Amino acid sequence: MRSIGALGRIVAACMLALLASPVLAQSARDGSAPAVAAASDLGFALEEIKDAYRREGHGDVRLTFGSSGNFARQIEQGAPFELFFSADEAYVERLVRAGLTRDEGVLYAVGRLALFAPHGSPVDPARGLDGLRPLLAAGELDRFAIANPEHAPYGRAAEQALRAAGLWVALEPRLLLGENVSQAAQFAASGNAAAGLVAYSLVLSPTLERRGRHALVPAEAHAPLRQRMVLTARASPAAERFYAFVQSPAARAIFARYGFVLPDG
Amino acid sequence: MAEPVARGLAVRLRQAGPIPLDVELAAAPGAITALFGPSGAGKSTVLRSIAGLYTPAETFVRCNGEVWADTAAGRVLPPHRRSVGLVFQDYALFPHLDVRGQLLAAMSHVPRRARERRVAELLALVHLEEYAERLPAALSGGQQQRVAIARALARDPAVLLLDEPFASVDRALRDALQHELAVLHRALGVPVVLVTHDFEDVARLAAEVVVLEAGRVTAKGSVAELTAAGSLPFGLAGKREPAVALDAEVAAQHPERQLTTVAAGALALLVPAIAAPLGARVRLTISSREVILATERPRGLSLHNIVAARVAEIRDAAQPELRVVRLAVEGTPLLALVTADAVRNLGLAPGREVLALIKAVAVEAFA
Amino acid sequence: MDWIALRLSLELAAITVVVLLPLAFALARLLAYRPFPGSGFVEAAVALPLVLPPTVVGFYLLTLLGAQSVSGRALAAVFGEPLAFSFTGLVVASLIVNVPFAVQPIKNALAAIPPNVRDAARVSGMGTWRSIRRVELPLAWPGLLTAFVLTFAHTLGEFGVVLMVGGAIPGETRTISIAIYDRVQAFDERAAGAMALFLLVVSVVALGIAHSAGRRAPRRG
Repeated sequence: MRSIGALGRIVAACMLALLASPVLAQSARDGSAPAVAAASDLGFALEEIKDAYRREGHGDVRLTFGSSGNFARQIEQGAPFELFFSADEAYVERLVRAGLTRDEGVLYAVGRLALFAPHGSPVDPARGLDGLRPLLAAGELDRFAIANPEHAPYGRAAEQALRAAGLWVALEPRLLLGENVSQAAQFAASGNAAAGLVAYSLVLSPTLERRGRHALVPAEAHAPLRQRMVLTARASPAAERFYAFVQSPAARAIFARYGFVLPDG
Repeated sequence: MAEPVARGLAVRLRQAGPIPLDVELAAAPGAITALFGPSGAGKSTVLRSIAGLYTPAETFVRCNGEVWADTAAGRVLPPHRRSVGLVFQDYALFPHLDVRGQLLAAMSHVPRRARERRVAELLALVHLEEYAERLPAALSGGQQQRVAIARALARDPAVLLLDEPFASVDRALRDALQHELAVLHRALGVPVVLVTHDFEDVARLAAEVVVLEAGRVTAKGSVAELTAAGSLPFGLAGKREPAVALDAEVAAQHPERQLTTVAAGALALLVPAIAAPLGARVRLTISSREVILATERPRGLSLHNIVAARVAEIRDAAQPELRVVRLAVEGTPLLALVTADAVRNLGLAPGREVLALIKAVAVEAFA
Repeated sequence: MDWIALRLSLELAAITVVVLLPLAFALARLLAYRPFPGSGFVEAAVALPLVLPPTVVGFYLLTLLGAQSVSGRALAAVFGEPLAFSFTGLVVASLIVNVPFAVQPIKNALAAIPPNVRDAARVSGMGTWRSIRRVELPLAWPGLLTAFVLTFAHTLGEFGVVLMVGGAIPGETRTISIAIYDRVQAFDERAAGAMALFLLVVSVVALGIAHSAGRRAPRRG
């Protein structure tokens, strides 16, 4: 059309090229490998397990990380996950009761809580939670990161630990709530929070190790983080294979390296 | 009540609102019918209704025997199915098309092979052959108007509608365009409806006139009759005196005196020379202000026209001290604006024979 | 750079544009030319996704498309798969959220065509389709270009609705904007940065094209 300028023609050509490319190329949508929902504290551990799984030629899985409570809700709404790694048994039980799972699942690890402070922070994790008190009194503690207790098990554990230490009331106004425990760790590691209560498995990773210091929180300070995994009603044979692999000695060794306490068996 | 014209345009529009209308008109082929009235009278609405861009509550439009709209029968053709040529007041040319493109756009009904030839014909008709590749933004107002006219003609329309075509052009251009339109419409042979609020357009171009005020037709008929009867509310060029508009022809040429004799029926007048052949049709406009009455023949005046006439009627004028005297030169009417005092002094009354004195230069002749 | 997420985003943007632009053109045409009873309401509805937080849209869409609702199950029957947490669900969400970006620029461009010019097209013998092809599109193409570019760029960057309706499933609903979020949480700032830079460049280019198109107003005859 004579009336459309040169610019219009160039852009029209680009548009057509763009439109054609996803169509000509194979569609990016790939539904073969099973979709796996995993609690964020497994961010590093499960990636390593997946790599081992692939190296041994068993196939692939698609991992999505987030808070356990969120995933439970999504699965209830029909999300196509075939395998669910929860950081809290209660969420698995909820799905079992709703008839959305293959069986009751299996306990794969017990998680631990850790106090983490980035380099340069006034917080010294070696002093434990009690070490926070003088800082709070002196007004030197700005923000403190935990996962959202509403739907993240590690957040709930953090709240329990803080209440047990008598720090919850003083600290609550200063809390930075992460949508899941990974985001909470991210807040702390980036220095946006002076410190945080996050998953032990995350702070043991090389990435976080070099960003700050940490210390384990005694297990008695909170209800145990019994982490349960379960195959959903949609699980395929491929999902079953991964489910089995996660219980193998090789996988358990990886869990152990990331500070998880392993159930017997 | 107008009789429907078998060939030509018949229109009947009626609605209470939002634009009140009560219009009945007919336009004969080969003649210009003026739709005349003040701004806001609804003239453009009538034009748009004929074209199909607007459909009043009660609409009947028939052109050359084909019914374009009949709300009573529930049949209304959209504009693109009517063979109508509409020249908009602001030309409404397509901003992105050159002159050739404007014309081609209206030629969907022409077989592809014939289109280029038709474009050349039209360009020649409006004298725009060199401008075929120009965009509207590169054309002057007058040129844009000619393109608009050519585009309307490209449609091979059964009726040509013009909406205030001379409203936004200067005097010199308007004269030129009026001449072209006068020539054009005779060649076309279709009804032409011309919307205007300027009396001069009516006087120069129109054979029939329909007067529209506030959506109603207040007068209609031939221009000569209505001007003589004083039924047109506006005078010449904005001046509010009555005038007559007469159809005449060139009766004789006097090149040695630089004068021409024009004859409107029994009324023969000498006017400054008109460059037109014998028998050529001419429109005469004579303002009543320019006509002097005498009861005896004067001598030694520069006047060229001293015409015997009979007083047909004496009416009140807009100003209370003046009178409009309608004269008849056998069948041809003439108007004179005189003071009431003069009427008394001369003893003017219907039936009285008088002489009408008209300066040659006072006769406006439009060829 | 998560290539799968990028391709997913490009697919989503391309499909949204291809489906939405013709519909938007038809709607824009209706709104631009003649006010009709209820057109004010339609205009407000069109503008609504602009002011609504994406999470609100996501919430209502999830309610509508989720497997637990009547409508969700009905739609699942039509499409052969549940719409929530699927790419198809993302397309539906994307179409709704992009309506103002597609409709407004086209509507403004069409409304800028002098009504007399449109009337001139009709009396010159052009029906609706010919008028669109020969008069409206040539005069309004900058508006269409703007609509295309804005819709495309906006879809690439859409986050809140995608996250709520889609669920961040790799290869299915984890678009590039979700992938950025994901990489940040995984402490992979390099990958996040690369993808963020890509989106930034795309946005700037899109705005540049839209701006340049906006300046090319057709000359008035």
